[in-house]
Amino acid sequence: MMWKEKYKIGVPLIDQQHEELFKRVSAFIGIVQNKMNWEEKLESVKETMAFMQEYVVFHFDDEEVYQESINYPNLESHKLEHKKFKQAVENYAVRLDTEGYSEELVQEFSGRLMAWLIMHVGSVDQKIGEYVASQEGEI
Amino acid sequence: MKAEYINPFYLATKDVFQMMLDVETDKGQLAIVEDMIPGKEANVVLGVTGDLKGTILFSFPKEMILEMVKIMSGMDVDTIDHFVSSALGEVANIIGGNAVTKLTANNYICDIVPPQIFIGEYRSLSMASQQALLLPILTPIGKFDINIFLKEK
Repeated sequence: MMWKEKYKIGVPLIDQQHEELFKRVSAFIGIVQNKMNWEEKLESVKETMAFMQEYVVFHFDDEEVYQESINYPNLESHKLEHKKFKQAVENYAVRLDTEGYSEELVQEFSGRLMAWLIMHVGSVDQKIGEYVASQEGEI
Repeated sequence: MKAEYINPFYLATKDVFQMMLDVETDKGQLAIVEDMIPGKEANVVLGVTGDLKGTILFSFPKEMILEMVKIMSGMDVDTIDHFVSSALGEVANIIGGNAVTKLTANNYICDIVPPQIFIGEYRSLSMASQQALLLPILTPIGKFDINIFLKEK
């Protein structure tokens, strides 16, 4: 996944974490999609997945703390977006545990994750940057 | 079908392609169709419920969705596997969500049913013998169709 300058919102903490998130999801997709035999790469798939899941939650928490600190007006709806996505990730985690780490299910999860992340960072999170810029204009 | 149902879907598609893929879109010639047929290799069906009820069908050629997923992932993809189809379903879901937000602004309160993805299946979708609108979308990476069938509750 390509990190683009246009994704930056102008808040270094958030921008760095977004870039890191892109790197981690890219690494995950890279492993899921490489041509190696599924059984051979299963351990790395599980490791990257755990690593990435942890980072998603860590980033959402940090982003919400930051939003609270600036009295972000859309905090509740933004939290809801995070909550829905964490729930979707958890649902996949439960399915992977119960149904097994099949290549199909992991691919399905990684495809959704990629598209959701681009949309969230490229669109929903941009509003944080717009709010910060508008507040600075008033000082 | 009123233009105020159609435009939100076109505008949402335009916004999402621009934002997620850096791909510009243009409207092709609108047409009325008797059957909603997934005429291309990769198809996503979204159900709409609420003040408007109906079905939206996105129908993409294979080469185009491989290019879309390549743009998103930065990786070469040569087959429509579960990664590709699920990314495509999510993109359609995001377009549907954005369209619903725009419909809400026009006082139509609707919701989107999670997408169903059909790869390489050419069965037609039943619309109880009613006509649908076919909106071709032209882009530098290919042409795809949005079929829209909506009616007021």
